[in-house]
Amino acid sequence: MSETLLEIRGLTVEFDVPAGRLPAVAGVDLSLRRGEILALVGESGSGKSALSMSLVGLNRGPRAHIGGEVLFGGRDLVAADEKELRGVRGRDIAVVFQDALAALNPTQRVGDQVAEMIRTHRKVPKRQARERAVELLGEVGIGNPAQAARAYPHQLSGGMRQRVMIAIGLANDPAVLIADEPTTALDVTIQSQVLRLLKRLQADHGTAIVLITHDLGVVAEVADRVAVMYAGRIIESGTRDEVLFHPQHPYTMGLLSSVPRVDGPAVARLPAIAGSPLTGVARPKGCAFAPRCAFAHAACGDAIPQLQQRYGGQAHLDRCVLERSRETLAVTP
Amino acid sequence: MRLVLKRLAAVPVVLLVLSTMVFAAIRLLPGSPATGLAAGGASGTATAADITANTEKINAALGLDKPLLSQYWSFLSDIVHLDLGSSFYGGNDITGLLGDTLPATIELTVAAMLIAVLIGMLTGILAALRRGTWIDTATRTIGTVSFSLPWFALGVLSIVVFGVWLRWLPVIGRLPNALDYHPLTNFVLLDAILQDRPELIWPWLEHLILPATTLALSMAGFITRIVRASVLEVLGDDFVRTARMKGLSPAAILRRHVLRNSSLPIVTVLGLQFGSLLGGSVITETVFSYPGVGNLLVNGILQRDYPIVQGAALAIALLFTLVNVFVDLLYLALDPRLRKA
Ligand SMILES: Nc1ncnc2c1ncn2[C@@H]1O[C@H](COP(=O)(O)OP(=O)(O)O)[C@@H](O)[C@H]1O
Ligand SMILES: [Mg+2]
Repeated sequence: MSETLLEIRGLTVEFDVPAGRLPAVAGVDLSLRRGEILALVGESGSGKSALSMSLVGLNRGPRAHIGGEVLFGGRDLVAADEKELRGVRGRDIAVVFQDALAALNPTQRVGDQVAEMIRTHRKVPKRQARERAVELLGEVGIGNPAQAARAYPHQLSGGMRQRVMIAIGLANDPAVLIADEPTTALDVTIQSQVLRLLKRLQADHGTAIVLITHDLGVVAEVADRVAVMYAGRIIESGTRDEVLFHPQHPYTMGLLSSVPRVDGPAVARLPAIAGSPLTGVARPKGCAFAPRCAFAHAACGDAIPQLQQRYGGQAHLDRCVLERSRETLAVTP
Repeated sequence: MRLVLKRLAAVPVVLLVLSTMVFAAIRLLPGSPATGLAAGGASGTATAADITANTEKINAALGLDKPLLSQYWSFLSDIVHLDLGSSFYGGNDITGLLGDTLPATIELTVAAMLIAVLIGMLTGILAALRRGTWIDTATRTIGTVSFSLPWFALGVLSIVVFGVWLRWLPVIGRLPNALDYHPLTNFVLLDAILQDRPELIWPWLEHLILPATTLALSMAGFITRIVRASVLEVLGDDFVRTARMKGLSPAAILRRHVLRNSSLPIVTVLGLQFGSLLGGSVITETVFSYPGVGNLLVNGILQRDYPIVQGAALAIALLFTLVNVFVDLLYLALDPRLRKA
């Protein structure tokens, strides 16, 4: 379980925008272990998609600058050329996108879109790829897979389309599946079905999943480990229980307090995070969260805090300088 | 499907409105068929009195002395009976004339369309893929210039350059006069196959190239712009990112995902542009003395030969409508989202 599959070191993703260079990912170190579900959480605009797309170079382009290292299978995917990356994309690392309706080709039959994924990496006859596509559609819980395979995306429901997306992702049994907010566009009951599907596939196939979400309920349901992102950096990471039940960083606490709890007694809440996330070109010298932090003091503006082990367990890291116990934080009205 | 049926149902209405407009417009032009005929009939030696007398006789013979409304009525009832009348000059049957000229115009416009689509697609895709480079700028500039070139000027220029200076290609007519050709369908390519006469094809193509290219160039410039915009838009779509995620090569992405999806707006534009192409064919046919409906129409107008003008305009309108029905069908074939019940 603890074997490292993918190692991200000092990853930066910057985009040329009219105002200058936007640091969407500002130096991320993170590792993904074989077969785990790693949740990447954070508010919209914190750089989750930019981070995950850059793993396989999907956001490469004239306006994008990607730096650092992504070590996978003995090579650096950031340095790899497009040709080399094409061999990795879809075969070793696949992505399930958020908006399945937009992510599927509107003029191609769903079964053909799954079969295309297979035939891109394996020399199998069309017929055989089609049959395998139908099997895969069945495997992701589509009722009448043969019929669904002949349908066009617009003829399927939102939940079905997301299952199709997952079937495409799994078609070549990749080592890593990146699921970028796979349930955001779906209604609640369908959401949990899709999550359980991901969980089951992870168990059956041993696929490592990077699950991107801003929904901590989702995290609680399926994640093994959690990394919290803010303004392009990881500000806290650890096991699910560490991060959800013993959050160290004020931002994580704020996120947790804004999760509506339907179970258990009403707990004393921290104030929901005021203000809006940092998305502009200019970044402060110190902690990016300080302007919104209820506990910020002068030292927070001096330098960007290191991501380090502080109060929690061995692998529970956070990026904060406040000397404190959790009790002092919890009393804030 | 319903869309197409609707279009088809509208065809008679369109044709009725159009023929009414043509009927009125041609009669609003100064001069009348009788004046020309009356003077010409006496080979220029007629006196003023003769001309007046002749004019009355001719008007009576052609039915032009009747009130407009009754002329209009008999014109309509003739059309309904598929009788387009006959020419004031020489009495040729209009249906027969159209049977000769319409295939020629269809050949010309379809060839022009194919050339325009070929050039427009290639340059449009190239410009989109090389967006922001000098290739993009050059392609777009040439496209804009060719789009704004008048057909007449382009036709004359190509005649001078390729026909007169370089002497590469014939510049007049549709086939050499000396050629032994017995039309069956009047579509040369089709006849060449049906009559097993492959030697017809080259002389035919040779005559077609210049007028068709002349006609195609301005449309190609327009298609370039549409294709570029459309391809750029589709390239930004999420499913293209999915295709990249699958590990497909840029060529495969273009072929399997981008082209089909970006062809939708292009096809719509083609249908509409076919109208202006037909307009251009009238001028081009005249410049190249190409025996098509456009040529027929221009001569009809010059001679105030009402039945010919009416028949030719109807034929052109019918062609336009049919092409657009075809475009609708193509649209349905390309985009499954439009196929409902
Ligand atoms: N292609 C791009 N060009 C310019 N800016 C981008 C691009 N992609 C993302 N960004 C910017 O980078 C930041 C992070 O975006 P993103 O990774 O999509 O956030 P998240 O997925 O966490 O919501 C945002 O400010 C966003 O506007
Ligand atoms: Mg995102």
